[in-house]
Amino acid sequence: MSVESKKVLYGLYNDEEDLKHAVKVAREGHLDIMDVYTPFPVHGLDPILGLKESRLHILGFIYGSIGAIFGFLFMSWALAKDWPILFGGKPYWPVPSFIPITFELTVLFSAWGMTLTFYTICGMWPGVKAKILDNRISDDKFCIAFDITQAESRMVSGLEDFFKRTGASEVHEKII
Amino acid sequence: MNLNTQFVFDSKLKRNLIIGMVVGALCLVWSAIGDDAFYTRFWSNYLHNAVFFTGIAFTAMFFLSGQITAFAGWMVVIKRLWEAMSLFMLVGIGLLLVVVIGVWGHLHHLYHWNMPGITDPSSPIYDKVIAGKAGFLNPVFFTVGTVGFLAIWYFWAYKLRQNSLAQDKYETPSFDYYKRERKWAASFLPLGGFLSTVFLWLLVMSIDPHWYSTMFAWYSTVSLFLGGLALFILLVLYLKAKGYLEYVTRDHLHDLGKYLFGISIFWTYLWFDQFMLIWYGNIGEETIYFKERMENYPILFWGNLVFNFVTPFFVLMRNSTKRKVGTMFFAALIVFLGHWLDFFYMIKPGVRLAAQEAIELSEGAHHSSLDGQLKHHGKDLTQHVPHALAAVGSASAAEQGHHSTAPSKEHQESKETQTSNHPTSADGHAPIEEHVTHASAAEQHHDGDKQENGHSSGFQLGYSLPGFQEIGVLIGFLSLFLFFFFRQLERAPLLPLRDPYLEESLHHTTGVYLEEEEADSVSAHH
Repeated sequence: MSVESKKVLYGLYNDEEDLKHAVKVAREGHLDIMDVYTPFPVHGLDPILGLKESRLHILGFIYGSIGAIFGFLFMSWALAKDWPILFGGKPYWPVPSFIPITFELTVLFSAWGMTLTFYTICGMWPGVKAKILDNRISDDKFCIAFDITQAESRMVSGLEDFFKRTGASEVHEKII
Repeated sequence: MNLNTQFVFDSKLKRNLIIGMVVGALCLVWSAIGDDAFYTRFWSNYLHNAVFFTGIAFTAMFFLSGQITAFAGWMVVIKRLWEAMSLFMLVGIGLLLVVVIGVWGHLHHLYHWNMPGITDPSSPIYDKVIAGKAGFLNPVFFTVGTVGFLAIWYFWAYKLRQNSLAQDKYETPSFDYYKRERKWAASFLPLGGFLSTVFLWLLVMSIDPHWYSTMFAWYSTVSLFLGGLALFILLVLYLKAKGYLEYVTRDHLHDLGKYLFGISIFWTYLWFDQFMLIWYGNIGEETIYFKERMENYPILFWGNLVFNFVTPFFVLMRNSTKRKVGTMFFAALIVFLGHWLDFFYMIKPGVRLAAQEAIELSEGAHHSSLDGQLKHHGKDLTQHVPHALAAVGSASAAEQGHHSTAPSKEHQESKETQTSNHPTSADGHAPIEEHVTHASAAEQHHDGDKQENGHSSGFQLGYSLPGFQEIGVLIGFLSLFLFFFFRQLERAPLLPLRDPYLEESLHHTTGVYLEEEEADSVSAHH
């Protein structure tokens, strides 16, 4: 994510079906969509936009595995090797009682790992200002945005025409 | 897409299933040949499969009720399959009736609490623990709790089915159906949830009458549900391969796969909890259950986890595997067999132990009424129990060892000794509790006399692992189940055309699109 500000042309739609149709038209016309904003997840939008499956969950599995191995080995080292303690007449290495904590650490590592990775990828560091195009995209509007920082005026009017043709209720320009 | 699909139960399939049933019947008879005096292998095979397939029908009904109660739209296209599965409970009543008749007529020794005289303080085989549970573990309650509850459930399943069929006669999709249907579905949930615990305590947990686990009903019901779910997925794949259910898409399969994956993890959680609570509590009569199974049935014990946790967890973890026929078929097949094995593991070791104990007891007791019962079987029992008397002897030694650690109990039991004048019961109720006290006390006091125990818990096909007969019986019961399932399926259109949620179900999407299937997903949804 670049820090420089962008000039964005965006259109608002009232219905997700209109939005899906508009995205399809844009893709057929080889228009370079910057992003699409919706107030809720719209099923079937990803393949129309041509988005690839996220690989975040693969990392989640790796983080979880690290957590499981770390948790189990740490407990084994601490309670059986470094300072052996007998609990409730159980052996020095009571594997069943390690399982719940191993599970918890698996979840903890994979949740924190995935969250931090996600924030890093999205550039969501502490102190970052949110770039909001329009407040209503978290309420009832569906938005398609184009980056027109370097676009010629002929191109911009073409995009405005596209919004009109596909039934956008409003078209705005904004620098974010 | 032709939506008015009618399933045709063709004669070839019918013939194959009938052959399967005949194979099953022959294998059931085969497992009775060369069996012990109580025909333990025959009866335990019968009980195992009868409970498993009846339970699958019950969980199908439970799942369907849950979905209807929640106004779930996605499963409308496969609703008729769940209905057909749930109606197998009718056959289940018949199957379990045989077990119930066996209890009343003492035809088998699956349930040790059913032994004559076991709750009678003057009897040499008196068992204080079982006598304390006699209010629950008795033939009357057994009948009500198995066949009776099943009849109640079947009535609900029948009503749900009738409503579903009546819905087909509507002119247009209508919610009237849901108004009536939801009353039956929602009321079934507490009914099925509470009664199923008793159902499984009586049929499965009471095989080990001294042992109890508060997790057991959960654990075994979830096991049944997974068995049913896996079988359901296999049936969907089969019907799709035959050209039916073309409207069942990857997304429906994906959701079924999520259920299979998620509930498998839930099963593992229950499996582990049941184990860990008992391991941590370390109470003799509870731990003996796992000690017996871990030491003498290691393949079953660990294989259970490999089949039912490791395989579904790693195979179904990714989205793509839940959306492909091949991987789903593999996972569902393993899970189905895995939960069949799970019930095998729950039933067989306990039944084997109970039968061995009963044979030893009857040998050691010299009791007239007991002799009468055993003569009924027409076999000389002495040849089966060479060490029976030695077992009783070592048990009393173990009991004495037990006394020294439990003074209050000793006091109680010495009172019993005064009132009882029978030679073998002079040590309280030693023989029955023998395997409990022996394992916990003898472990510390005299480790060496395991041979004297008399219980031969070594490897034996049909108990330690399923033999040919067990697999044959599985094929037989599966054929019976499928025969009834297809009969029910053919009686109604595969698709409930007047269901108000039909459109939602036909256009069901999970929101997951994988690159390799991108092209046809787009064309299918738009």
